[in-house]
Amino acid sequence: MSRMIKLIHNEQVKIYTRKSTWLMYLILAGLIFTFAFTINYYGVPNENYQGDNWRQELKEENQKLTKEMKKDEFAASNNPYLIEKNNYYLEHDIQPATYDAWQFVGENAGLLMVVSLLVIIIAAGIVANEFRWGTIKLLLIRPIKRSGILLSKYIAVLLFALYTLMFLFIAAWLIGAIFFGVSEIDATIVKDAKDGFTSIPLIKDIFTNYSFRLVDLLMMTTLAFMISTVFRNSSLAIGVSLFLLMSGSSIVQMLADKEWVKYILFANTDLRQYVGGNSPIIEGMTLGFSITVLIVYYVVFILTSWIVFIKRDVAGQ
Amino acid sequence: MANAAIELVNLKKTIGKKEIIKGLSFSIQPGEVFGFIGPNGAGKTTTIRMMVGLISITEGDVLIQGNSIKTDFKKAIREVGAIVENPEMYPFMTGWQNLKHYARMMPGVTKERMQEVVKLMGLEKPIHERAGKYSLGMRQRLGIAQALLHKPSVLILDEPTNGLDPAGIREMREHIRKLAKEQNVAIIISSHLLSEIEQMCDRIGIIKNGKLIKLQQVGEVENDNLLHHLKVAPMDQAKQILNEQLQLEAVELDGNLSFRCKKEQIPKIITCMVENNCAIYQITTANGSLEDQFFALIGENTIE
Repeated sequence: MSRMIKLIHNEQVKIYTRKSTWLMYLILAGLIFTFAFTINYYGVPNENYQGDNWRQELKEENQKLTKEMKKDEFAASNNPYLIEKNNYYLEHDIQPATYDAWQFVGENAGLLMVVSLLVIIIAAGIVANEFRWGTIKLLLIRPIKRSGILLSKYIAVLLFALYTLMFLFIAAWLIGAIFFGVSEIDATIVKDAKDGFTSIPLIKDIFTNYSFRLVDLLMMTTLAFMISTVFRNSSLAIGVSLFLLMSGSSIVQMLADKEWVKYILFANTDLRQYVGGNSPIIEGMTLGFSITVLIVYYVVFILTSWIVFIKRDVAGQ
Repeated sequence: MANAAIELVNLKKTIGKKEIIKGLSFSIQPGEVFGFIGPNGAGKTTTIRMMVGLISITEGDVLIQGNSIKTDFKKAIREVGAIVENPEMYPFMTGWQNLKHYARMMPGVTKERMQEVVKLMGLEKPIHERAGKYSLGMRQRLGIAQALLHKPSVLILDEPTNGLDPAGIREMREHIRKLAKEQNVAIIISSHLLSEIEQMCDRIGIIKNGKLIKLQQVGEVENDNLLHHLKVAPMDQAKQILNEQLQLEAVELDGNLSFRCKKEQIPKIITCMVENNCAIYQITTANGSLEDQFFALIGENTIE
């Protein structure tokens, strides 16, 4: 076991000694900062409702919005949503929560797409680069089984994903705290639901936002890892994985009328389709079905990577 | 031959329908330096890759200290240190970080051992620079350093003189002789240049088109028919003496008399010349007799 820890340590040294890795973190931090700056520039949400007269404020805003609808076509289509939301606050007597670092963290869940991108880049390179550098030859002539080497690389990728996720979380919280301050974490927020709105604890919202997207992250990372191992080409692995990450759901939409579309990976990666009153992409799909499909894909990716890596003749390029 | 450090048993490799290595069998004793010679494309690197388990073995086996690389990989490879083709390192890490990386993969490599190896290869100065900045010669040394870390009993060096200047080759030769002698390491050196490694090997094997065509001790190179060049005056008289008195076939070549004879005959030839008042300016034994033989065996550098 200690041997495996040393191997994983080796892989991490190789990831974090390269400057390009740190550049990724810098870009991620830059995006969070820009996001916070933009929100701050256009006005912090809920800022007007923090006094004791928040009910009055909401009512006045509703009147203003109604007036706008008569003049402006865009407002006419957009404003009813806002009015309804305001009414929900009034009806349920919930004071809109102070916008703070925690809410900002929740909204940054969208940046998990960027985290996926970074993890895919690492996963795509971790095996392919050893072939490109030629160092694979020196790596495989050690008293360690090939399966162990590959496992250490896969674990290193997952750890990188975890660290990057933590970085996103912490950086978003810190930047959020600087821009918006920190208020209570047990706030309740109002969100869209199937019919109308629903109120849920903020912490639960953050948790669901992040955890469901992790499925996509894990599957795409494992796919990139497999392509990297099988084709020894990091560009190909990045290209294919990113393309599928971006366009996966559109592909599913396009083929939505076909019976077999539910067996496509991307019809199943977004498990949010089963919660919060959403309906699945294809009728008749269940959470159990999706999890089964995901597991099958995962096992195929992992098995392919391992078998190819163990059997491969490491000959010249 | 029971205690061979490494033994190849009828080793074969077939890729597709083409047999690349056609049954190699030889063994190397501890403390022996074995030169593995052949033209480019003869199968040297393929053989070496099979010896260290990088590519699968179609038929036969490689035994390292009696352990099969096929069935007992971990035990067998523990005894091996190797460079396969170019000594590639992680360019973004320093020499020391590279060594540390490999040290973590093997049991019992201490910091002291790493420092020892660095000193042995004369890398103290550049060891904390990024390996990407190293010259090929420095990388070659770093490559050998990583191969020595775990005190292997078999050292496999693929073209280790590549990229070294003459002084570097000379130094390498001394390192290798020292390792074999003092630490009883069995060393295999491959090269397509016989002259570069001839002087460091105890024995050479010549491979051509996947077959071993000659195994020979370097010391015992055919003693009886060495080519000699004699610078002497007067030439005609000397030629006559050689041809008639000593029954040697001498020919004039570039102002020298060239002939083949045994080493033991030389004093007698000189005495003869002096007795007949011939002035001897120089007598040389043609170097690279092995080289001549090598080309005779290899012929044109053809790849099947």
